[in-house]
Amino acid sequence: MKTILTDARSRKQRALSEYDSKRVIAAAGVPMPREELVASKDDALRAAAAIGYPVVLKGCADTLLHKTEKNMVFLNLASPDDVGDAYDRITGAGEPLDGVLVQEQVRGGRELVIGMVRDPQFGPCVMFGLGGVFTEVLRDTTFRVAPLSREDAAEMLDEVKARALLGEFRGQPAVDREALIDALVGIGALALENDEIAEIDINPIIVAGDRPVAVDAVVVLRRE
Amino acid sequence: MNLESFFNPKSVAVVGASNTPFNLAATICNILKYKSYHGAVYAVNRKAEEVHGCPGYASVKDIPGEVELAVILISAKQVPGVVRECGEKGVRGVIIESAGFSEAGPEGQAMQDEIDGYLKKYNMRMLGPNCLGVLNAANSFCCFYGIIPGRYGDGFSTPGTVSYIIQSGGIGALVLDSFNKDVCKVNKAVSIGNMADVDESDLIEYFNGDGTEVIGLYLENVRNGRKLMDTARRVTKPILAFKVGRTSEGSAAAASHTAGMANNDIVFDNACRQAGIIRLKSISELHAMPKMFTTMPLLRGKNIAVMSNSGAFGGIAADLLIESGFSMAKLTPATQERLAKTGQLFNVKNPVDLGPTLNKQTFVDIFDILLSADEVDGLLPVPNVWLDVVIEAILELMAMCRHYNKPAAIYIPNAIDRILTIREKHGIPTFESPEEATRALVVSHQQYRYLQKKETGNHENDLNRRAKPEAACAV
Repeated sequence: MKTILTDARSRKQRALSEYDSKRVIAAAGVPMPREELVASKDDALRAAAAIGYPVVLKGCADTLLHKTEKNMVFLNLASPDDVGDAYDRITGAGEPLDGVLVQEQVRGGRELVIGMVRDPQFGPCVMFGLGGVFTEVLRDTTFRVAPLSREDAAEMLDEVKARALLGEFRGQPAVDREALIDALVGIGALALENDEIAEIDINPIIVAGDRPVAVDAVVVLRRE
Repeated sequence: MNLESFFNPKSVAVVGASNTPFNLAATICNILKYKSYHGAVYAVNRKAEEVHGCPGYASVKDIPGEVELAVILISAKQVPGVVRECGEKGVRGVIIESAGFSEAGPEGQAMQDEIDGYLKKYNMRMLGPNCLGVLNAANSFCCFYGIIPGRYGDGFSTPGTVSYIIQSGGIGALVLDSFNKDVCKVNKAVSIGNMADVDESDLIEYFNGDGTEVIGLYLENVRNGRKLMDTARRVTKPILAFKVGRTSEGSAAAASHTAGMANNDIVFDNACRQAGIIRLKSISELHAMPKMFTTMPLLRGKNIAVMSNSGAFGGIAADLLIESGFSMAKLTPATQERLAKTGQLFNVKNPVDLGPTLNKQTFVDIFDILLSADEVDGLLPVPNVWLDVVIEAILELMAMCRHYNKPAAIYIPNAIDRILTIREKHGIPTFESPEEATRALVVSHQQYRYLQKKETGNHENDLNRRAKPEAACAV
């Protein structure tokens, strides 16, 4: 994990690619979807078959911070034809890419966010809240200064207005609180141990059944 | 150095005090003499002239004998030289009240750096710069400049147990003035200014061991957030903080959504919860809330009973309590039966409505029944005082609260001058509005929960500390 960070810094990257970001935060204890980074259409098809349809294809590069706006995200691909087509459109857009990310299509109606930011006076702070496209509109989030105790993390889950979403919700089971607590504590520790990480966004975390899964993430690096 | 030199110096030099008209430093000599401060007070000015009866010298170094503390109020560019002289003289602490340092650009910063060098070289501590100084009501030491003898006299003639760390002179004056008509009084107050050396955390630590019962903070910025949190976690006295100044410093260069969501104020708010600091909602709470801690036990649960002589106030209080996350205590049939036996109550359910009761014993019985009930954690009594017997009953209530170890946040629904008179004359910790009384219950319960958390945390730290040597042996 440290290698990913030091390599990116030596290449003067502003951020890690989605794939590398996820490898770093997965090491901190955040649950990930099944996914694979591929560099050919054949590998994309093989990966899709291995993961199981439907899948998601995304262009992957450290410079690609707004994938959706650049038409680099294709959801709900149900067949090899769809995957091949999406692969062509991603690679044909003329953006520099590390590869194409083939990811399981995670289904769930609940979207959460976990983040990290460094405050000038308090140092690394971990955020938890309502995720998805409305995060910044509804601003239903709460922060804790790292390191977080498990009790701190548990309080965060109970503090947001959307806390009812974490219980049993519209036929879905209650969210695995321990998994969320592990992730919050882990992100705090990751930030304390790695000064080169400036900010982290894990958004959305989709709740599939009771399992929170980090569907998208970005690790922003400190600038010199 | 122990911070004690700032609050109880055996000898103090007021640098800049002279007989020039409107000289601010001279007001410090004046108030110290007026309050008959027990230590030696010297004036330092160019002409070496005596000021308000304090012998004058041209330099700190000319003063015969020891100088423990120097209070400096001269133009900024002269300050570094004076600090060096203080170091050479063996002064333990300096309070720099002058402005014009780090807040005034690179030139001011350079002077600050020079001062920092002298502090280190001579092992001195510094309060300020750009501050109002220190007040210690217990020994009448006061180096706030501009205080006119007699005008604020009452504010600190009776020493109390509430200590303040205040980053603004104006707020300091307001808070001290507000205690004139309150049941608790000030122990110490410090205006911290730029906090170039001694900061809010150092002072919280000091107030944890000086007889202070409640610590109040007014902050515009935090110097070292992590140090503040570490200190607050160790301190078990209530720390009440009011903070202003939302900054966009943190989000200016934000690349992520998370950074866009964070601002310094939100982070501060959550850090307070984490470290056990009670965040106040208004500036008046700085002087209104401490009495809840100095006169009442902590609120251990969330079930509140309301009693009043008027259904209206019962309803108002119930709304406020529910909005604040409390529950209206559900009185058991047994409790209701006991209440019914006290007389002609309008309502024996919560909120309990006494109607226009005239009998002192009825009040006392109701207080006793409610406080002794297991289903009640605390009381919000709203007794209208139209007879002196009500005051007598409230005085008994205060003793009952201690007996049952449950608090009452008292609100007396009379006109404000009546409330203040009752509070001052009888020492009843009544709040000035139902909103304020509700907030008092909120902060009391918050402190109770913080204490539980701090005790667990400190216990765990002890265990870890004890476990470590054994682990080392095993390896």
